[in-house]
Order: sequence, then C-alpha cells, then structure tokens
Amino acid sequence: MSAVPLRWRLSPFARAPGFADWLILTAIVVVAVAAAFPLAWMALTSLMTPAETMRTPPVWIPATPSLDAYAKVADVIQAGRSFLNSAIIATTTTLGILITSLLAGFAFAKYQFRGRNVIFALVVATMFLPPIVTLIPLYRLVGYLRIDGGLMGVIAPNLANAFGIFLMRQFISGVPDDLIDAGRMDGASELRILFSIVAPSVTPAIAALALFAFVYHWNSYLWPLTVLEGHTENYPIVISLSRLLSYNRGAMNTNLVMAGATLAVLPPLILFAFLQRFFVDSIVSSGLKG
Amino acid sequence: MSALAARRPLFVMLSPALSLLGVFIAAPMALTIWLSFQDWSTETGFGEARFAGLDNFRAIFGPTSVGRDFTGASVNTGLYTLGSVALILPLSVALGLLVYQRRVRGGVTLRTILFSTYMTPMIAVALVWSKLYSPSDGPINQMLGWVGLPPGRWLSSPDTALSSIVILNVWQQVGYFTVLAVAGLTQIPVSLHEAAALDGAGPLRRFIFVTLPLLRRTLLFSAVIAVINAVQVFEPVALITQGGPVGSTNVLTYHIRRVGIERSQGGLGSAMAVMLMLALIVTVVALFALARRIEDDGP
Repeated sequence: MSAVPLRWRLSPFARAPGFADWLILTAIVVVAVAAAFPLAWMALTSLMTPAETMRTPPVWIPATPSLDAYAKVADVIQAGRSFLNSAIIATTTTLGILITSLLAGFAFAKYQFRGRNVIFALVVATMFLPPIVTLIPLYRLVGYLRIDGGLMGVIAPNLANAFGIFLMRQFISGVPDDLIDAGRMDGASELRILFSIVAPSVTPAIAALALFAFVYHWNSYLWPLTVLEGHTENYPIVISLSRLLSYNRGAMNTNLVMAGATLAVLPPLILFAFLQRFFVDSIVSSGLKG
Repeated sequence: MSALAARRPLFVMLSPALSLLGVFIAAPMALTIWLSFQDWSTETGFGEARFAGLDNFRAIFGPTSVGRDFTGASVNTGLYTLGSVALILPLSVALGLLVYQRRVRGGVTLRTILFSTYMTPMIAVALVWSKLYSPSDGPINQMLGWVGLPPGRWLSSPDTALSSIVILNVWQQVGYFTVLAVAGLTQIPVSLHEAAALDGAGPLRRFIFVTLPLLRRTLLFSAVIAVINAVQVFEPVALITQGGPVGSTNVLTYHIRRVGIERSQGGLGSAMAVMLMLALIVTVVALFALARRIEDDGP
C-alpha cells in the first residue's frame, strides 16, 4: 500500500481509482463549479464593455478585459468615502469587541462569583436574538444618545457581543491556572495578567474573533441602513451599493453593477484567504464545545 | 486579599461588556415587549406612548389589512425557514462528506470555495443573483436552455420568487454548515466504521446506522442556527423584490422594519417582533425536544 506509483501522486486520487472515486471526483468538481460560478461571473462581467454585456447569445469571457467599469462605479457610489466609512466602522467595532470580549471572557472563565452561570447563560442567550426584535426601540434609543445619523451610531451598539465573550471564555478556560497564579505571585495586576499572559496564549482565537467581527460588520446592512437613513456621506460601501440597483434593470450597466459588487466583496475575501485556518478552527470549537 | 479588593478586578472585567449589552440589547428587548402593549409612533419619544392593552395584538391577528399583511409575512417566513433548513441540513452533510473523505483530493479546496461565499456581503450576492435570475437575458435561463429546459420566471413570479430567494440564501450559507458537518464527522471514531464494515455493512448502511446517529448533535446545532438565520433574511427582499411580487416575498424582518421604522407604527411593529420572538423560542424548544426523542428511540 505504501508504494504509491508516481502518477497517482500527481493525480487527484490517493490510489488507483475505482468507480466510486470517479463519482466523488465528479461530485467535487460539480459542486465547486456551482459554488464558484456566481462570484466568477460577477468578476468576469465587471471586466466587460457595455456592448459585451448586452450581446445575445451572452459573452462569458471578456475579449479585452477593461477596468473602465471600476473607474465609473467608484464615481457613482462615492467609493472612496464609502470604503473609508466601512473601514472605520469595521475596525473600531472589531477593536471594541476584542477588548470587551477578552475582559468578560476572562472573568467568566477564571473568576468565581455569585450568579456567574446565570449571567453567562443570559449573555449567551442574546447570541440567538435576531436583530429585528430590538431594532425599533434601538432606533429611538440612539436618537436619545444623539448618535443617530453618524458612524458612532453604527458602531456603539455593537461594541460588545455575546459570541465574542463566549469564544473567549471557551479558549481562556483552557489556559492553565498555574500560569495565572504565577503572574499573581509576581505581583502583576489582573489586567496585566490578562493582556500579557492570558491573551498571548489564546492568539488563534483572538485572530478568529477579529476576522469574524471585521467581516460581519463590513457586511452588515440592516442596522447601518436604519440608523444612517439619509446621511449618505456616512454610508458604508454595502449601503452605497444599493444605489446601483436602479442600474440593474437594463443589461447596459451590468458591468458597472458587477464592478461595484466586486469592490465590496474583495476586502472580506482577501482577509479570509489569508486567515481561513483560524475561521474554520473557531467555528468548529464554538460548535462543539458549546 | 480583602473581599472588596477581590471584587474590583471583577467589576473592571465585566462592566464594559455587561453595560453595553444592557443598554443596547437588554433594554431594547424590554422596551420591545413594553411597546407591544402601547400605542406609539416611532417618531416620538418613549414618553408619548399610551397604554393600549392588547390592541396591537388584536390588530395583527385581525381581519384588516394589518392582520392580513402580518399573517402573510408570517407564512412566508415559515415557508422560507422550512425550505432553507430542509435544503441546508442534507446538503451540509453531503458536502461535509465530500470535504471529509480522503479517497480523492480536493476536499479542502472545496471547503475554501464553499466558505468564501459565506464571507461575501449579502448586497453583492443580491446584486449578482438578481442578474443571474433575469428571465430574459439571465445566465441561469441560458444554461437551462442548453440542457433543453424551459426558462424560469424566478424572482418575477409570485409562485417562484420566495423559492428563488431560498436558493440564493442556501448558496450563500451552506459553506458554514458544511464546516460544522465536517467537525461532526471528525468526532466519529474510525473504529466504529471499521467494526461495522467487519460485520458486513456496506457504505450506505454504515452511513445510516453509524454516521447519521452520531451527527445528531451537530445537526441539532445546525438546525437551530439555520432557523435563526432564516428569520433574519432581509437584503435580497429589501433590494430586489421589496416584498413582491404580490407580497410573495414579504418576510417578517422586512415587514417589521417597514411597519415599525418606515411607517413609524412602533407599537404595531413591536407586537410583531414579540410574536416573532415567541415563535422562535417555540421552534427552538421543539427542535431540542425532537432531538431528545430521536436520541431515546434511536438505533
């Protein structure tokens, strides 16, 4: 069994393929193509000329790829400003979530106090609360706080998050108590222990949470739309993109719409490409240890 | 260490997260419940609310257009949730097996492709799919033509619009559930499969009697998450169909926002939100009860 012929090492098969192996390979290819098709079509169409997008039968691959649509769409949706808004919202929210989750996760994992399990259960329960349930009063509440219409109104309600606290508690529970006690013996403060002993030993979980939070808040739509209504200068890219919908009726501007969609997709996908290992590990542990 | 000194770090650690969750989640949740019993316009302060008893609930279950719209949105959300869960669970197991198997390479690449769609902002998904679905010049109908199938009307027909949104939602989310399924498969001891194979069980019997029963907890978790995700569907409806054609894609998240924010009927919208919350709790409890019964009767 161990002597695998060279040709099989270069092929998709681990050994001489039987009928079942061909079936599996076919299934993988079909699923991969079906899953990748919409995004591939989006990227290809964004590189076409308007004439190409209107041709029947349709053109699938642009003859001479052009970035014209990107230049034009950047103008229509004020891409620069929107990108900046998205970056500010996603980055600030992510930093807030990291800090509040590390602090609370540490307390729930390593401190004994009355009501700990009840409070933790209540926090976790909010993870399952659909945002629409609190949307109406929250909309009025940010008005009272005078942060509606601005980036702070988008950011503030999301600075703490149950999933983050849950994830941090799960991972910090695994940090040996001896390590923490050693820090206390040295006279380190609790905050110092958290940030210079505990946090470094849960770096993969922190990376995962940072990426989740960033992507989630980059993509988030319902709350920014509600709280920013009309304040177009503060729109993140995903809201600005909805302006392209009116362009989506005819075939003529399809390349423009797809260029806009590609721009919005790139940051989360690039992040994911670099750090997918962390994403997958943390989904697995959040699902299993729960 | 004195009791007070011991408490101070605890306070420092917990107060940022708990006060934020208190102000922005617990308080709005309580307000939603309170407002559901009030006559209140979203444009005014909470102080303007007037107690209205059960009027809001009577209205949303009543025979007027308010009631008909809410019932329609509830039915649509129910169908949408059923359709999503019914597609996502079996698909996630099938795709999970493809990713997990080691006979043919490419599983990890497949996982990356599937999961990358999950990272994609819904607005982009909606923009792309509204074009893919286009009845006249859309690529999906073109491809149906290649294999000799008649073109579909997709989002433009009341009969198929909701299913079309279910499909684009499943396409976007199935990667996440596949990763969960792979995690479940990884937990199944190889020795169980080997023992079953020694007893002469073929791949199909091993799947039914070994794999599926041991995936129960994963499937329960996936079902709960899929239900909670499904009731949140908003972007494709808000962007492409605006609830139409003829109300066929008017789902609760979209409807509650339209009533409570756009029409400023905060009391009515809150009553709908409370009903959604109750329905969700009942569904999740029922899923757990079902999983427990299967566990008791299981092979």
